[in-house]
Parts: sequence; structure tokens; C-alpha cells
Amino acid sequence: MIRVTVNGVTSEHAVEPRLLLTDFLRHHLGLTGTHVGCEQGVCGACTVILNGDSVRACLCLVVQADGGEIETVEGLGTVDNLNPLQKAFQEHHALQCGFCTPGMLMTGVDLLRKYPLATDAEIREGLSGNLCRCTGYVHVVQAIRSVVQAEKNGS
Amino acid sequence: MKPPAFEYLAATSLAQAVAALANDEAKIIAGGQSLVPMLNFRLLAPSLLVDITRIPGLDAIEEDGGGGLRIGALTRHHTLETSAMVQARFPVLSAAMKHVAHLAVRNRGTIGGSLCHADPAAELPGLALLLNAQLKTTQRTVAAADFFEGALSTALAGDEILTEIQLPALPPRTGWGFEEFARRSGDFALTAVGATVSLSDGEVAEARIVVIGADDTPLRASAAEVLLTDRSGIAAAAIAAQGQVSPNGDLHGSADYRRHLVGVLTRRALTAAWRRASGTGGEAP
Amino acid sequence: MEAEARPKIIGARVQRVEDPRLLAGRGAFIDDVNLPGTLHVAFCRSDHAHARIVDIDSAEASRMPGVTAIFTAADIEGKMHPIRATSRMADYFATELPVLARDKVRYVGESVVAVVAANRYLAEDAAERVAITYEPLGHAIDPVAAAEAGSPLLHEEAGTNVIVTRTFARGDVDEVLASAPVRIGDTFRMHRKTPAAMENRGYLAEYDQGRRALTLHSTTQIPGIVRDALVEMLDLPGNRLRVVAPDVGGGFGGKGALYPEEILVCIIARQLGRPVKWLSDRLEDLMTTNQAFDEIVEAELACDEEGRILGLRAEVIGDVGAYSIYPWTAAIEPVQVVSFLPGPYRVPVYRGRVRAVATSKTPTGAYRGVGRPISTFVMERLIDMAAAKLSLDPLEMRRRNMVRAEEFPYKSASGIVWDRAGFMECLDGVATAADYKALRQIQTEARAAGRWVGIGLASYAELTGLGSRIAVAPGMPVNTGTESARIRVDSTGAVTAYFGIASQGQGLETTLAQVIAEELGVRLEDVEVIQGDSAVVAHGTGTYASRSAVLAGGAAILSARAVREKVLEAASHLLEADVGDIDTGNGRIFVKGTDRALSFRELARAVYSEIGRLPREVREGMDLEATRMYDPYFGTTTPASHLAMVEIDPETYGVTITRYVVAEDCGRIINPLIADGQVQGGVAQGIGAALMEEVVHDDAGQILTASLMDYVVPTAMEIPAMEIIHLETERPDNIGGFRGMGEGGTIGAPAALANAISDALAPLGIMINELPATPERLFRLIEAATTRNERRATRVG
Repeated sequence: MIRVTVNGVTSEHAVEPRLLLTDFLRHHLGLTGTHVGCEQGVCGACTVILNGDSVRACLCLVVQADGGEIETVEGLGTVDNLNPLQKAFQEHHALQCGFCTPGMLMTGVDLLRKYPLATDAEIREGLSGNLCRCTGYVHVVQAIRSVVQAEKNGS
Repeated sequence: MKPPAFEYLAATSLAQAVAALANDEAKIIAGGQSLVPMLNFRLLAPSLLVDITRIPGLDAIEEDGGGGLRIGALTRHHTLETSAMVQARFPVLSAAMKHVAHLAVRNRGTIGGSLCHADPAAELPGLALLLNAQLKTTQRTVAAADFFEGALSTALAGDEILTEIQLPALPPRTGWGFEEFARRSGDFALTAVGATVSLSDGEVAEARIVVIGADDTPLRASAAEVLLTDRSGIAAAAIAAQGQVSPNGDLHGSADYRRHLVGVLTRRALTAAWRRASGTGGEAP
Repeated sequence: MEAEARPKIIGARVQRVEDPRLLAGRGAFIDDVNLPGTLHVAFCRSDHAHARIVDIDSAEASRMPGVTAIFTAADIEGKMHPIRATSRMADYFATELPVLARDKVRYVGESVVAVVAANRYLAEDAAERVAITYEPLGHAIDPVAAAEAGSPLLHEEAGTNVIVTRTFARGDVDEVLASAPVRIGDTFRMHRKTPAAMENRGYLAEYDQGRRALTLHSTTQIPGIVRDALVEMLDLPGNRLRVVAPDVGGGFGGKGALYPEEILVCIIARQLGRPVKWLSDRLEDLMTTNQAFDEIVEAELACDEEGRILGLRAEVIGDVGAYSIYPWTAAIEPVQVVSFLPGPYRVPVYRGRVRAVATSKTPTGAYRGVGRPISTFVMERLIDMAAAKLSLDPLEMRRRNMVRAEEFPYKSASGIVWDRAGFMECLDGVATAADYKALRQIQTEARAAGRWVGIGLASYAELTGLGSRIAVAPGMPVNTGTESARIRVDSTGAVTAYFGIASQGQGLETTLAQVIAEELGVRLEDVEVIQGDSAVVAHGTGTYASRSAVLAGGAAILSARAVREKVLEAASHLLEADVGDIDTGNGRIFVKGTDRALSFRELARAVYSEIGRLPREVREGMDLEATRMYDPYFGTTTPASHLAMVEIDPETYGVTITRYVVAEDCGRIINPLIADGQVQGGVAQGIGAALMEEVVHDDAGQILTASLMDYVVPTAMEIPAMEIIHLETERPDNIGGFRGMGEGGTIGAPAALANAISDALAPLGIMINELPATPERLFRLIEAATTRNERRATRVG
């Protein structure tokens, strides 16, 4: 039996040791916003935040997350009330097919919490673990830059 | 790509973990950043995974009293990368950690895991060698130089667990350099070179060079190191380092290209190290 | 109240309507569609490049926990009619598209056995226990060797591995070459790519036993084509077979063909009466999704002393892999290499011959750009090589040869007709935007300082938005020249538009809504676009070949206008005004110059619920919906020019792109934000193709690039910021004035980068005629050149 808190909701589950965190979130909790792109730990589409740090959910056994706190894309804003990062992605057209987007957002959340992101190079470096095949990243960098700017102006 | 079935034990003490590892088909899991991909590919089929991440006391970074550090094996890469203590004493380590995969992997992957996985292109095993690390296990303390036996192969026994990495202090007036060339940001190095240069009275008292990704294990380019203390110069050292490695070719780079990179990166790493040690931007020897 | 004038929505930089759901994790991708009782499939795939299947033993696997059924080719025999991609093209052999390998396997990764179990974990457990015995056959890996007589045959009944031969010719090129003052040429090689969409392929079939109806949820770009094919294969009428593409995570052509796995899940779902899902994992994706860009081109160009092109000759070998894919055939890419090779230039005399060769590798198909990334790479290299030989600036060489404004419509040497578009304007556009002269100055200074800096240009033109006169693939029996749109104003006044195209990220829900909103006179948020569903229109094929804006946009305009006429007719009675005095805008219907107005909601209520408000004689036949088909007949030309500037580390040979500029003419732009995104994404894939991406097989046909660690696609660190100039020189002759633009970025970038790197390395005498230009390839070229130059220096000294 494991106990996890996902987007603030705690629940207990009987799971097989081999169950990947991706499949747990998607199929046991029905949180299908976290996407599976490679299960090789390369593409970053499955990025979630575990105990405050962004991680690849496809490289995490859910039993290892026992007792942990997980944030997924569903925990950001809603369709009717997007959060500032999500809004910036929409404003800057930082997504096309949207498949890599949840991973991009969760990486963005971690980057914005931890780093000053003073230069675009820093943003690009931070995003380099998240592959996107549609956008060429240009607008993604712009979206994150705009949030950094807005936070700077706001504080 | 789903892992095969296995049993799982979240060990709460080293003794419990060691006992569980008596089972031949058991494997240790920590951050899982190297192991889980192999499970997903079904390249491994352990009967039991022994999770050591819940064993307390294995993730501290502490001063050893002599200017060095003791670093718990469960320390995550990102903790190492951002530790002020590491940055102050072993800046080469902080710099090298930035090249390890990407943020999400560094957040999860442990340094003990990387050392025990012993990928010849991984940064940490090379840094352990460069910094003359002593690797403390549940049975003994092994010098990094004796730890890496081959690609993905170490001196650890099946039921032996790495618990701590001990980094002795670097000599005073030591500068460092770390140069890596990979196909993409975050990829395994085609080749990387780490170097330290320690000066005494304006002369090179000690030089260390480690070459990563150009042999079955990370390699100390000892033949090149002596060329710095005997004042033959950086260019000669770079050529010597090239002569010492036996790279394997793969689809990202041939043996010849890697050997070529060893020369380039050795020269760059040594130049950076010398400049930092001498505190000048002047011409390196 | 005075109603506002109709606002311009086409051309507005509006935010995408599909974004909120995708950003909130509420998209519905294939694996987000969950039906109770779904069974999951795992495949046993061939680990041989070419082998006879001697025995399949699945006894142990069938006893594994959770296993429902196991299928081999024998088990599905008689449950479907076989399918092959036919064509009217001469010299073409149509291979069958096997659903599961029968008798023999022809590439590593080909599906042999399907294991059906309660979940994917259990299905994979059981698949490991299936024992397949193979007898290896001689394989054909190298396309040049495979083309030769005596090579092991993949399809014995074809009698050869050369399954397509085609020649385009105008004039006697041998004569021109023999007497030309300047003659340059080489062998060019582009190595195989895979589309690598971030979402892998996946299919979910459900069979309604009561209705005897099958629904396939598929990550397909072509729901209509798949529906029509399955109808034939499975003997179901079209009204009981529906193909739905949910949110799809990128396609780029890789999801634009019929796949064995989607046929199989239908067969299994029908047989077992349960929903059946198969999701490709990344390993399977890299082994089985149609690959592309695998050509060897031997080409020669003849010029006069002023650099004017006199003739062009090319021999192309396309490595098309093991099967001819449905419906496009194995010809789609290699034939486009020769038909587009002359590019946007006046090439008076031409001969291009192509042979498509079957090899023991993953089948190839359409990938963004289709053939033109290769033809452009070759032609643009030839132009630069000729310029170098003549000591002409590459920009000037292009200017001298590019089709000029007064020459349109221009019939190219291969028979393509270019309509008036901004060929020269794009070339001048990049040169001006980048300040080409200043860049050359910067390069001169950098060179003097020992730095390796290069500038590369590439110009091309593509045919987009193809109508019924021009087939997307040569001789294909499927009509790709029309699309339809059905638009309906319902009884609440809401507008719903139905299309047969299918978006994989192009933002078609937004751009088509923009077109409809403007034409109909409603607000963007009033329009809901339903696409990617074969059941919503009578006929539609899908999204591919840069067609959706032109064809679906055209159909949207026609049907919106038809609906608007009905709206005006009804309104004329309700507002007691002449139709000609009524206009629509912002969701309102108003009598011009008065304050008499209705909302769409009020009008719809009157038409549907308060029919008494309309005179009896107009009630019959009154509704507020229309379906229109659009056929642009020919296609339209989309030209562009790219400029890349690179710096190469003279020691590690790492390439950094320091500047990237694109000027393109996509006609009337529907949404500049989306247009920019299409160019940026296309260029990023072109950069991958030029510098990094390569599917590698070993000599035994084993695929060595089976993970995203080894199949190297660009990250945010390798793609630069870009400058994009959109030119609208002249509206093309289609109803919307749109030109297709989804693929172009990928077409120009490999050529521009090959030219830039060649330019950077020109002092060493190095030419980049093989892509991707990986650091390893640059190392080998530079080593060889250094040795060559040292030898020369010694001789001279």
C-alpha cells in the first residue's frame, strides 16, 4: 500500500512494484495530462514535480514515491483559469500539438522557482531536457522569458 | 517498454539492504535514472529491487575537518551541483555537474548510483578519479583509482553498498578546468576532460588530468600529468593524453575523433586550470 | 443600435482556441481515451532484416496471466481483404502491406505476432515468451547493391528490388553537358530520418456488437483515407465504420499513412467484441513509423561563363525500405526528388531519373518536405559550387537564374507549373533583412582572425494546396484534390463547422474558425470546429502535403458564404429589408445604416422554433446549414529563401548557428502567430536533418538508433532564434488566396546549412555534400583535407 499526495489530494493505493509513476498518474488516478513520450528518460514529456523537484515520471517507480507530494499539470491553472505560465504559453504560441507541453510547463515551474533565468541561454539550457518537435522552441523561450519579466516587474 | 515484474524492498537500514542483496538476482535501486531505463527496455530482469533511498544518513555533505568533504552516496546530482560547500572547495565538481543530463535527471539521480553504474562516458566517475576520491562502502574504503574496472563494471561485491564519497582537500593555489563535447546539451560526453593544476612558487607542483568517454573507464592521463610538472607544457601534455587513451567508436563518434577531442579538450582544460591557478588571464605554458 | 462593421479576423494574431485544454492537461490524446474493458496489444517484432518464418510457438505465452488471445498471420487469414498501394504509374510494383508477417519478414521491427492481454505490462510479459524460429535469408541493406541484378529479392514476385523507375526529361542534356563551358557535379547523400513526433502512434478500436459498427480512434493524419480503406478490407459499409483522430501529438507525415497495427486492432476488436488498444512505445516508433529522406543523388549542372544554367542531369536512388506504403506508394518521396530538382530556377534542359529500391529496412513515406529537402539540398549545393567555380557571389548566381516575375506562369523542366509568387522577392527579402553585404564583411574579418564562419543561402519553391488536377503521389487512385466543409447554425445560434482534415498541432481549429467567423460575420468564439472525424463529412482525406489551409479553408469559405446567404434570406423577412441591405458582423445581422438588427441566436430561434415568423412560402427548404466541396484544381506555389550563418569550432568541429533568416511567401496569412510557429518548427526539423538526425542500420539491418538518446533530435540549445519575413506578393488563384506553408521550413534548412558549412570550410577545400553534417563527418572531412593540403604544400614547397 502506498500513500501519495497529488495536487494536494492524498490517497492510498495497492500497486505492483514495477508500476511506473506515469502509468499510475494516468491510469490509476486518471490524470492524463502527464504524457508518455519515450519511457527512455529522454524526451521530458512526463515531467512532474516530486517533493519540490522536477523529475521524469517514466523513470520513477511509484513505490519510490510513497509518502511523496506530486504536482502535475492538472495542479496548475484550469481551462477557465490558466495560471500565468500557461497564459504566457498561449499568448506566445508556445505549443502546437501540445503533447510535450505538460512536461515543458512542469520544467518551467521548477526553473522559475529555482533559477533567476537572467538570459535566454539559461532558459534554453533549462529546457534542454524537454524535446519538442513542433515549435522549434523559439516561442517557448519567449513565453518563459515573459513570465520572468512579469515576476520581476511585479516584485 | 514496461519493466518486467520484480519484488521490491524499501530498506530502512544498511544491514537490511545488505542482507537482501544476498539474493543473486537482487539489484539496488536509488534514484533509478540509469536503472529504470534498462528495466523499461527489459535489458535487466532482477527478481528483487532493494531501494536504499529510505536509509537515513546517506545524503549529507559534510566537511571532513581537513579541507575535504564527505558526501553521502544518496546525494542527488543537483544537490551536489548547487552546494555552496562543494562550490567553495571543488568548483570543478559543480561545473561538471551542469553537464550531467538535464535538470529533472539531476534532481533524481544520486551520485552513488552514477558511480556504481560506471558508465565510461558519465561525468561523476571521472571526477571521482580526478579528485582522488575514496569510496566508502559497507565493507571497506576503496580508492576511485581501484573502483572502476570496466564499462558498467566496478570493484563492488554483489552485496556491497557504496555509502560515502570522500574527497580530500586540493592543494593550495589549485585551478581547475572542465571541458566536455557532446552531440547535444545534456547528452553523454563524446569526450570530456577534467583537470586541476596546483602551483607552488609559480611552478606547477601537481597536475591532474582525467579523460572521460575515451576508454572503458575514466582514465587519469598520468603520462600527460608529469609533462606539466617537468615543464614540457600544455601542448605536449595534450599529445601525451591522446596517446594514453584507447577510445571505442560508436555511432556518435569514431575512436579517431574521440582521440582528437581528447587532445583539444585536454589543452583547453589545462589552460583554464592554469589560468585559474595563476589568477591571470595570461598565456598558459 | 448601430451594428459595427464586419471586423477582419483573417490575418489577426489571435490566440489559439485549442490551447486552454492542452495547457491544462485536458487534451484528449489517443491514450487519454479510455473505454471500460479495453484489451492491450504488444507485438513480437522481427529481429531479422530478412528471414523466413519457420515456426511460431505461442503455447507458453498463451498461458501467461492476463492473456486473452494471440494472433499470427494465419489467425487473421480470411478476416480481411489484403491491401496494397496501387498506382497508374508505369514501372511500379505494388507490394502488399502485410498486417502481420506471413511466411517471411522483411525488416527489423516488422510485426509477426500480436499478444492481447489485460494491460500492456502483461502483454509484454507474454510476448517475451513467444518463440519464433527464423531462417535468415540474404538481406538487402545497401540500396545500390540491392538495385543490382542478383541481389537477394525482398519481393520475389517483383523480380527486382527496383520497385519504381521514373524519368523526367526536357531536351538533350548529354549534349548540353558535353559542350558546356562550366560543368560541375558530385554525388550527394542524405541519410535516413524518422519524423519522431513527440506522441507515438496509437490505435483504439471498439466494436458495437448491437449496431455491428466499428469505431477506430487513431493518431492518423488521414481519417478519411483510413476509413475508406478499412471499409474495403473489412466489408463494412461506411456508415458503420468511423475513424476518429483525437488530439494528435504531431504527425509530420509519419502519421499520414495506413498502418498495419490500425488494421489489426480493428480485426481483433471485431473478433473479441472488446475495445482493443495498441500504443507504440518509442522503441517501436523508431523501428516502425515510416521513415524518409534516404537518397543518393548523382547530379551535374552545366552553366555558361556568366553563370546562366544550361542544363541539369541527375540519377537518383531512393532507399524506400521493405514495403510500398498505403496509399502514397514507395514513389512519393523519390519521385519528388527528381520532379522538384530544378527548383525555382530556369533550367532549360533537364534529365532526372529515379529508381526506388526496396531494402530490408523500415518502409519510407512522407516526412515534412517529402523529397524537396533532398532536391533543394542538391540544387542549392550545385548553385553554390558553380558560383565558386565562376567566382560569383552565391546571391548573384541565384539572381541570374531564378524565374523572374514576368515569366510566370513558368513551366519547369520537369513539367511543374509555377504560378506567380515571390521567388525573387524572397531572395531579396532575406538578403536585405540579414544585410547580406554586412554579413560577408563580418565573415571576412572573422576569417582573418582564424575563425571558421560561413553563410549559406537556399531558395526553393513547393507546390501546395494541390487540387484534383495534380495527384499528391504519382498515379495514385485516391482523390486528394478536394475537401469539404459542413457549417451549421443550430437552434441556439451557435456555429459548428465540420471538416475531414485532421490537425496534429497546426492550429486548424483556430485558423478555420477565423475564416468562418469572418465570412459568416460571427465572433471567433461563436465557432466550434470539429475535425479529424470521418463521420462528420461525406468525404475528406486529411491533413498532409501543406493542403489544409488552401483546401479546407476554401471549403470553409464556400460553405460559410452559402450559410450566410440563408441567414440573409431569413433575416430579410424578419427585418423587413432587402437582402442587399443586410450585413453580418460580430454575431449580429443588421440592416446597413440603421439600428435594426438581430443576433444569430434570435435569427436561429425564429428559423427553427418560431417558424411562424417567416412567410409560409419560404419555410420549405429553410435551414441554416450548408456543405460545400472545394477543389483548387491545380495547386499553388509557395516560395521561400533561407539564410543561415554558422560558426564552426576549428578544434572540436561543433557547429553553432549564429543567424537564421527566412523570407517566405505564403500568400494571405490567416494567423501570423501560427504562421511563425510553422516556419520555426519546420526550420528546427530541417536543422535536425542537416546537423544531427540519422537513422542508422548496421550491415545486418539492425537499427542502431532505437532510442531518443541515439536518434538525436535538436533541443532548445541547438535551435537558434530566427527572423521570419512573410511576403505577400500576389494572391494565388484559389478562393482564399492562401498558399500552403506547413512544410517549407524543413525544405530550406538542410540546403542553407550545407551551404553555410561548406562556405565556412571553403578555405580548406571542403564541400558538404552528405547530410547530416555531424561532428564525426566534419572531423573526417577536415582530417582528409588537412592531409591533402599538407601533401600539396609539401609538393609546392
